[in-house]
Amino acid sequence: MTSNLITRKNVAERNGNAANPPLEVHDLTVAYHKKPVLWGIDLAVPSGKLVGIVGPNGAGKSTLIKAAMGLLPVSSGWVKVFGEPVKKNLRRVGYVPQRESVDWDFPVSVMDVVLMGRYGRLGLIKRPSSIDRDVARECLDKVKMLPYASRQISNLSGGQQQRVFLARALAQESDLYFMDEPFAGVDAATETAIIDLLHELRSKGKTLLVVHHDLPTARNYFDMLLLLNMRVVAFGPTEEVFTHELLQKTYGGRLTILSEVAEAVRQKT
Amino acid sequence: MNRIPKITLLVLFNGFFILPATAARIGDISETSVLEQALRFFTFQEPSVRYALLGSIFLGITCGLLGSFIVVRKMALFGDTLSHALLPGVALGFLWNMSKDPIAIFVGATLAGLLGSIVVHLIKQTTRLKEDTALGLVLASFFAVGVCLVTMIQRLPTGNKSGIDKFLFGQAAAIGADDIKLMAIITALAVAAITIFYKELLVTSFDSGFARVAGFPAQAIHYGLMLLLAFAVVIALQAVGVVLVSAMLITPAAAAYLLTDRMSRMLMLASAFGMAAGALGAFVSFLGPGLPTGPFMVLAASVVFALAFLFGPRHGVVMRWWRQHSRSRRMQRENTLKAIYQVLETREGEGDSVSLRELAQRRRETEDDARRQAYELKQHGLATLHDDGDVIFLTPDGWEQACAIVRNHRLWELYLTHAANIAADHVHEDAEKIEHVLGEEVVRQLEKRLDYATTDPHGKRIPSLADMRQRGAQAGRSEDTVGYGRRA
Amino acid sequence: MTSLFPTFDFHRVFVAPWTQDLATQGWVMLMGFFVATACGLVGNYLILRRMALVGDAISHSILPGLAIGFLLVHSRNSLVMFLGALAAGIVTTILIELIHKKSRVKQDAAIGITFSSLFAIGVILISLFASKVDLDQECVLYGEINNVALDFPYVSLGGFTLGPPALVRMAGVTIVVVLLIALFYKELLVSSFDPGLAFSLGINATVMHYSLMAMLSVVVVSAFESVGAILVIAMLILPGAAAALLSQRLPVILLLSVFHAALSSVLGVHLGLALECSPAGAMVVMGTLLFALAWLFSPSQGLVAGWFRLRMKPLIPPDTDQAAKFKV
Repeated sequence: MTSNLITRKNVAERNGNAANPPLEVHDLTVAYHKKPVLWGIDLAVPSGKLVGIVGPNGAGKSTLIKAAMGLLPVSSGWVKVFGEPVKKNLRRVGYVPQRESVDWDFPVSVMDVVLMGRYGRLGLIKRPSSIDRDVARECLDKVKMLPYASRQISNLSGGQQQRVFLARALAQESDLYFMDEPFAGVDAATETAIIDLLHELRSKGKTLLVVHHDLPTARNYFDMLLLLNMRVVAFGPTEEVFTHELLQKTYGGRLTILSEVAEAVRQKT
Repeated sequence: MNRIPKITLLVLFNGFFILPATAARIGDISETSVLEQALRFFTFQEPSVRYALLGSIFLGITCGLLGSFIVVRKMALFGDTLSHALLPGVALGFLWNMSKDPIAIFVGATLAGLLGSIVVHLIKQTTRLKEDTALGLVLASFFAVGVCLVTMIQRLPTGNKSGIDKFLFGQAAAIGADDIKLMAIITALAVAAITIFYKELLVTSFDSGFARVAGFPAQAIHYGLMLLLAFAVVIALQAVGVVLVSAMLITPAAAAYLLTDRMSRMLMLASAFGMAAGALGAFVSFLGPGLPTGPFMVLAASVVFALAFLFGPRHGVVMRWWRQHSRSRRMQRENTLKAIYQVLETREGEGDSVSLRELAQRRRETEDDARRQAYELKQHGLATLHDDGDVIFLTPDGWEQACAIVRNHRLWELYLTHAANIAADHVHEDAEKIEHVLGEEVVRQLEKRLDYATTDPHGKRIPSLADMRQRGAQAGRSEDTVGYGRRA
Repeated sequence: MTSLFPTFDFHRVFVAPWTQDLATQGWVMLMGFFVATACGLVGNYLILRRMALVGDAISHSILPGLAIGFLLVHSRNSLVMFLGALAAGIVTTILIELIHKKSRVKQDAAIGITFSSLFAIGVILISLFASKVDLDQECVLYGEINNVALDFPYVSLGGFTLGPPALVRMAGVTIVVVLLIALFYKELLVSSFDPGLAFSLGINATVMHYSLMAMLSVVVVSAFESVGAILVIAMLILPGAAAALLSQRLPVILLLSVFHAALSSVLGVHLGLALECSPAGAMVVMGTLLFALAWLFSPSQGLVAGWFRLRMKPLIPPDTDQAAKFKV
C-alpha cells in the first residue's frame, strides 16, 4: 500500500523544486464526540493537479477538506498550505461548500454572493470597490450567469446555484481550491461547464481538491485520486490508483454492485 | 444600502427630542374621543408622552435591525430564551439601589443574558442534550430564579412601588429621561455596528464556513451579535416586558423578510415596522388606565406580519394564489382560442365564425362550458358573440393570439420530432403544456433553428407572423389576406 | 437587603409543613408532584422529538383560550375554559404549520410569531376585562399554587375525601397520561425515533403528532393554574433532561422523571417557605439544582466524569479492516 502513497519525499523528487506543496497533511486525526472520523492522514498534494477525493458515505471526505481549511478542530496532526500553517495562508485558499450548507432563501442576489468572494482580500470594515464589482461580473460571465446577476438566489435551479458558488470561488483568485461535491445534483450542461472550468483553472497552475460522489466519472475527470475511508487507502495518479483491489478496499465487498465501475475496470485491464 | 437617509432621520429625532426634562410620570389621559387622543398623542401635546413615543421608536429601530439577523440566522428561539433569562438580572439590578436605576438594571440584565448564553453553549458542548432542550432549560430556570426574586422584592415595604412588575408586560408610561438617554446610546451603537460591519454580518449569516475561510472571525462576530442582541432586549424591556420582547425582535423582521429580496432593504423595513408597531402600541396603551404596553405593540407587529404574509406582492399567499388563478384562466382562454382556430382550419375557409356547438364538440365539453368560455373571450376583447351567444367571431386581437398559440404548439412538436428525435405521436402532450409558456424570444430561436418551417409533424400549417397580422377572420377574403383561407 | 431574606426558622421551613401545616402544605406538595409528573412524562417525548420549544409555545398560546372560556362562563373550574385552551393549543399547531409551510419564514420564527401573538391577545383580554376575569397578570406568569388548598369544597367519593377539586383533576390527568404512555408505548417510541419505520408499521405520524400536541395541551392547561404559563416549560423539560443525563434507556428515564418531579416539589415547598417567594418558582429552582447535580456528577455525561476521562487516551483507533464496515 505504501507504494501507492505519495510521501513528502517522493513529491519533492517528482516535482523537483516544490519544497512547499500546495497542501501538506501530517498525521491528521479528527474525532467527533470521541469517535474518530479521520485517522492518521498523511498527504502531500503536488501543485497544478486536479485531485478527486472519493470514498463511501461517512468516510470523512467533507471532514478532511474542512479540517484542512481549519474549519474543524483536530485531535492531532497538522496541515500546511504552501508551507505555512493553514490559518496564516487562508488568502491562497478558495472554497466551494456543499449547496445544502446554505439557506437559499437568504435575501441576497447572485451578485451579492459572488461579491462575497472578494471579501477575503478586503479584510474588516472595508467595502467592495468598483474593481471588485468588475471582477465579480467577469467571474459571473465565465460561468454564464451574468444575466442573472440581480436575481435572488432562490429563483435558480440547482445547476445555476452551483455555478454561482463557483463564480464566488473564482472571485477569490486563490491558488488552492477545495470543493465539496460540486457535481452533485446538477444537469449535464452544468456538469460539462464545471469540468471545463476546473480544467482551465488547472492549466493556470491552480491546485484543486474536489470531493466527488460518483465513481465512474471520477476516473475521467481527475488527474489524481485520493481513496479515503477514514484512513488514506491510496493516493496517486488516477490510472495507478483506480484498480479493482484498491476500490474494493475502500468501499468494502459491495463493489460488484457498481457494474459500471466493474465494467470500467475490466476495460482498462 | 442607503445609510444616509437613516442617519439623517436619527439625527433629526435625537436633536429634536432630547430636551432637559425631569422624569415626568405620565398620568392617565382623561376620557376624550380616540381621535382627539390620537392627535394629542402624536403631536406631542403632552410633553410626558414624548418619552414613551421616543422610547418606542428607539426600541423599534434596534429590535428591527437585530431581529433581521435573528430571523435569517434562525436564532428566533435563542432570542426568546435570552429575553426570559434576563429577568433575574433585572431583579438584581433593582436590588442594587432598591430603585429603578437604568444603569444597574442594564448591567444586571446584560450579565444575566451573557451567563444564560454561556450555559446554553456549555450544555450543548458537554452533554447529549440538543439545542432546543438546552434553550428551554435556561429559559425556564433563569426565569424561575427571576420569579422568586420578583416575588421576594414585592414582599418588601418598598417593593410595591419599585415598579418591577411593570417589567413583566411593559409600561411605556414608566419610561423616563434617563431611560431615553440609555436607549438612544444603545440604538446609536446598534446602527453604527451594523453599518460598519455590514458585510461581515452578511457573509457570516449566509455562509459561515466560507466566511471563516475568507478569514473572518465568525465566532467573534456571533458573540458580538449576541451582545448587541442582549442590549436590544434590555432597552426594550421597559416598554414591552420580559415575556413579549422576543416578539418585537422576530415579528417586524419576519414581515420585512416576506416583502423584500435584499438584506439591506429588509433591515430598513424591519426598523420601520418596529417603529410603527412600537408607536401604535404605546398609543393604544395610553387610552386606558393601567394597560400594559407590550401586548399592544406585539399585536400591532403581528397585524403587520399577517398583512405581509397574505398580501405581500411577491410572496404573499393571497397574491400567489391570485397569480396561479390568473394563469390558469389565461391557459383556458388560450385553449379556447386554439380550438376555434382549429375548427376554422378544418373548414378550410368556409365561413368566418364558429358556432357554439362546434366549439363544444372540438373541446369535448358541454355547451354550457363552451358558452362560459366564449363569454370569457368576449370579456377580454378576443371575440364577439352573435345570435344569442351561439355564434363566435374572433377579433383581430383574438386571431393574433390564436395564431400565436397554435404556432407555439406546432413549432414545439416540430422541434421535438426533429431535434429530439421523438416520435410524432408522442409530442402532443408535451406541446399542450409548453405552448402556454413559450416566450417570444424562445419562439424566434425555435423558428430560426427549424429553418422557418411552415408545417408541423402532422402536416398542418404553422401560422406565420404574417398570418397573425392579418386582420382576422372578419377581414373577409381579399387578395392580400394570408392565412387559413389561402391555398399554399 | 436584610428583609429580602426572611429570618431562617428551621421549624417553620422544614418541620411545620409535615406536621401542623400538613393540611395546606401537603396539598401544595402533592399538587406540585402531580403537575411535575404529568408535565415531565409528556415532556420526555418533546425532548426526544426536539420539540421542547413547541411546548413553550403551547403553554403561552393557551392563554387566550382560557381567557375567552372564562369570559363566557365566569368560572375558573369550567369545562369550557378547558376546552377553550385545548382549542387554542390545536390552533397554535395549525398556525405554526401554516406559516412555515406556506412562506419562506422558517419554523423557529413561525413558532415565535404564533405564540407571542396569541399570548399578547390573551394578556390584552385579561387586562381589558380584568374585573371580570379572575386572573391577574402575575398569576398568569407563575401561578398561585398556594391557593390549591383553599379551593373548597373538597371532592368526596363514597364518603372518602379525596382532596381539593384542582388536585383531583390534576391527579386524574396524571393517571391518564401514565395510562396513555403505557398503552401506546411502542407507537410513541417508534414515531419519535424513526418516522420512516413508523410509517411502514402503519403508524400515522400526523395522528401521533396531533395526539401528542393534544395531550400536551391538556397537561399544560391543567398545570396552568398552579404554575402559570412560563414555569410550566420548566416542568416539561427539567425532569426529562435531568433523567436523560443519567440513563439512556427510556423506561429508566421515565421513572427518573417521576423521582425528579417528587423531589423538586417537596424541596421546592421548603425553599419557598424559607425565602417567602413564589412556591412554583421555588420548585423550578430546586428542579434546576437537581439538574445541575446530574450534569456535574452523571457517570456517563457529567462534567466531573468528563474531566477524568480527558486524562485517559481519548480515542480508540478504528479497525484496520474499516472498509468492511461500510455499506455502499
